[in-house]
Amino acid sequence: MQRALEMIGLSTVVITVEPEETEQARPPRALCPKGFAAGHSLGRPGDAELQKRILVDALGLLVAAPRPGEVVVRDYASP
Amino acid sequence: MADAPEVKPLELSRYCVPFTPFRGRVEDAVVCLVTTAGVRARADPPFQLDGDTSFRAIPGGASAGDLTYDDAHYDHACVDRDLNCVFPIDRLRELVAEGRLGGLTERHFSMGYSQALRELRATTIPALAREVDRVRPHAVLLTGG
Repeated sequence: MQRALEMIGLSTVVITVEPEETEQARPPRALCPKGFAAGHSLGRPGDAELQKRILVDALGLLVAAPRPGEVVVRDYASP
Repeated sequence: MADAPEVKPLELSRYCVPFTPFRGRVEDAVVCLVTTAGVRARADPPFQLDGDTSFRAIPGGASAGDLTYDDAHYDHACVDRDLNCVFPIDRLRELVAEGRLGGLTERHFSMGYSQALRELRATTIPALAREVDRVRPHAVLLTGG
C-alpha cells in the first residue's frame, strides 16, 4: 500500500510493529516503536502523550534525511 | 508477426524503493490516515473476519468513539479501550489543534484482514490509492493492526 501511494506521488510514513516484515517490503519511510505488538502500534491505551510522541516522530521522518528501505526503530519505554 | 514476444510493462523491482519527496513543513501538512486494522464507522457494514479485500472510507470529522473495528488477528486489549492504539485519529486532531500538524483530510481509510495478496495488489490497493489521492493529502500516515 505504502509503495503504491509513493508511486502516484504521495509522501508516506508507516508505523509498524513488525520491523523485519516491513523491511522486507522496502518501505519509503517507517518507524517502529520498539517492544509494542500488533494492536498496540501506538503504545498503551489512554496514554495520549505517548501516542502523540510516536506520531510526531513518525511525521518527523517526512522531513528527516531520507532512509528509503529502512525501518527506524525507537524505544519509548522510558519517558 | 503472430509469434512476436509479448511485451509486458516494466514493473518496479522489490529492491527499488519508490520515494516521493515531502515538500514543506509538517506543521502545514494535511494528513490522511490509512490503516489495515479493520476500522470503520459504526454504521458501515462490517469487515469479514476471515478475509476481506474491501476497504472503508472514514469521515474526517469522526472521533475514535464513532468508530469500531472488525478483526480476529491482533490483540484487542488495547483497542477495546482506546481505538487510537491503532487508529490515532483523536491524537492527530489534537496535534492539529496544537499547531503541530496542518490538518486532516476529509476522509480517512481502512482495509480489513486479507491474505488474498494477488487481489489486494491487483484491485484493492490501486482503488484505495486513487481514493486517497482524491482527498489531496500532503502526506499519508499508515498504521497496521
